[in-house]
Amino acid sequence: MLERKEYQDYVSQNAPRSPMTRTLIAAFIVGGLICCIGEGIGDIIKLIFKEMSDKDVAIWESCIMIFLGSLFTALGLYDKLGHYAGGGSIIPITGFANSVISPAMEYNREGVFYGICAKMFTVAGPIIVFGVVASFLVGFIGYFAM
Amino acid sequence: MRTIKLKRPVYIKSGFTIVGPKEGDGNFGDCYDIVLNDDIWCEKSYEKCECKMHRDAITGAIKKAGLQREDIDILMGGDLLNELSPTSLAARNFPTAFLGLYNACSTFGEAMLVASMLIDAGFAKNITCSTSSHYSSAERQYRFPLELGNQRPPTAQWTVTGAGCTVLSSEMPSQMNERVYEDDIIAIDENMNIDEKTLEKYKKSIDKQKKVINISKSNILDGNYGKENNDYMRVNSHCAVVTGGTLGRVIDLGIDDEANMGAAMAPAACDTILTHFKESGLTPGDYDGIFTGDLGRFGRDTLKYLLSKEGITLPGYYMDTGASYYTPEQKTFQGGSGAGCVNTVFNSYILKKLQRGEYKRILVVPTGALLNKDTPLQQETIPGIAHAFTVESKAF
Amino acid sequence: MDIFLDYLKVFAVGGLVCLIGQILINKTQMTSARILVLYMLVGVVLEVSGAFEYMKEFAGSGVTIPIMGFGSNLAKGALEGAKTNGFLGAVTGGLSSVAAGLTTVIVCGFVFGLIAKSRSKKI
Repeated sequence: MLERKEYQDYVSQNAPRSPMTRTLIAAFIVGGLICCIGEGIGDIIKLIFKEMSDKDVAIWESCIMIFLGSLFTALGLYDKLGHYAGGGSIIPITGFANSVISPAMEYNREGVFYGICAKMFTVAGPIIVFGVVASFLVGFIGYFAM
Repeated sequence: MRTIKLKRPVYIKSGFTIVGPKEGDGNFGDCYDIVLNDDIWCEKSYEKCECKMHRDAITGAIKKAGLQREDIDILMGGDLLNELSPTSLAARNFPTAFLGLYNACSTFGEAMLVASMLIDAGFAKNITCSTSSHYSSAERQYRFPLELGNQRPPTAQWTVTGAGCTVLSSEMPSQMNERVYEDDIIAIDENMNIDEKTLEKYKKSIDKQKKVINISKSNILDGNYGKENNDYMRVNSHCAVVTGGTLGRVIDLGIDDEANMGAAMAPAACDTILTHFKESGLTPGDYDGIFTGDLGRFGRDTLKYLLSKEGITLPGYYMDTGASYYTPEQKTFQGGSGAGCVNTVFNSYILKKLQRGEYKRILVVPTGALLNKDTPLQQETIPGIAHAFTVESKAF
Repeated sequence: MDIFLDYLKVFAVGGLVCLIGQILINKTQMTSARILVLYMLVGVVLEVSGAFEYMKEFAGSGVTIPIMGFGSNLAKGALEGAKTNGFLGAVTGGLSSVAAGLTTVIVCGFVFGLIAKSRSKKI
């Protein structure tokens, strides 16, 4: 039989790869569209609440996008979109919502306490942890640099 | 010496399969005994559904063999989930000794070999070998939540939703299979081990459960006996006999990508096939069917490459059950995998052909990748294993 | 016409950000959680270096809707907190600037977890 090294080389050379063109085009279009939907929501909020500050508009915008991502996950549509678009639907904030809602839906069969609540951040946990640690470091360094 | 030659014939009395909807649309769609319309079958979770499929596959196989529960000496089986929960929970419905086995997707091969050795040695008369797997329960255990919008890598395989059971016996089977009706599968009996309240619920859901069975594709129903190559109308000209096999060795060539299990299993399949031919003195030409488990399309090509390096060319009738399981339109990329993959194909498609005498002697090599969710994270590589068993057909 | 150009910018930049992510997925088989963490950290770095303001000026939602916006909010909040509230502000600033988003995601997760069930993939 082949040596370990030789076999690993054979596998890494011959294993099937993702079709580049199709996946890249899908990611570009879907990602761009999701960002445009976000922009559209921001513009609508600005039209309705004229005196709202830009910062608040941005917060409302991301909250509504998170809600939409959750809703489409709950309807079972987001995983289909993700299978088609890949990065296009993972990277926007709706993908973050999807990675929180999908474990909550998956593990609700183990009950509310140890299912939904305990397992909600099995996928998205690293994002929160890395984010909080990074923001602490930035604030810490910023405080002493000032 | 890893190759076994049985002294007494071990007959395959019957095989029974239950699969999900996607499998019913696949290449072997018209061979299964039961095809379901949805893959939760009125249960609360996919694990419960897998357990029910497993239990009913055993029930169906025992009925089809013309036996009673009490005639079975040992239940042998396994699946992919933690602590073999579906198999163990299914086994509580039977008044029988139970041996739980785990060899990942090659559990079926292990069960067949161990069972036929026990029968050969005279320790048991009738043994059931059953395995099951379920796409949704396996996905949650090994990969990600179902609704997560990630992309499956092109080397990924699709875990088969299916359960199958073979009844092995020291006695010859009859030429006709006993009929199995849907009332035999969805029935209330005293062995069910459930409390009053659950029983009430079960009684109410019986009609619903029956509706889940896909009538046009399944073999068990009344109205379906006109179907071509129906299992229950056919007089078998031959019976299938397990004659031996080769026990597998754990082989690790350092593949660490858990999304590419075909590559992890191919060296083990290669090793088992080489050992089998060397120790039994046979060549590929002595068989008219060679089946590997669930290597997938890439794993199949890798196995061919590995064997060609050793000077063995697999003949044209060689088939990988995983790679052939689904049609390309079903977008499973590499094909099927899981403990139910080789099992459901063997108990439906292959067994039918053996009983018609279309195969004289075949070699079945179920393969398995030995990992759990944590081993790749701990930087372990993925070893593979493969067991081979030979089945011959004998005229009545 | 202006508004059309704005949306074109959002579309192009947002699409490009996702396209780079897709290249990473195709080449390295990264899981979605790793991609999200990587992009969030990129957002933090961009915010600290000051480039994110210009990108936001140019493309708006094209850079704030991708998870980079989440990272930049965290970093921005921490820096502003440090400026106005001293050390305590540096500690609380990051999370309080994304508190709205986090609360939405947790409440949505709890509610949809209670009412919806996951189904098998049908591809």
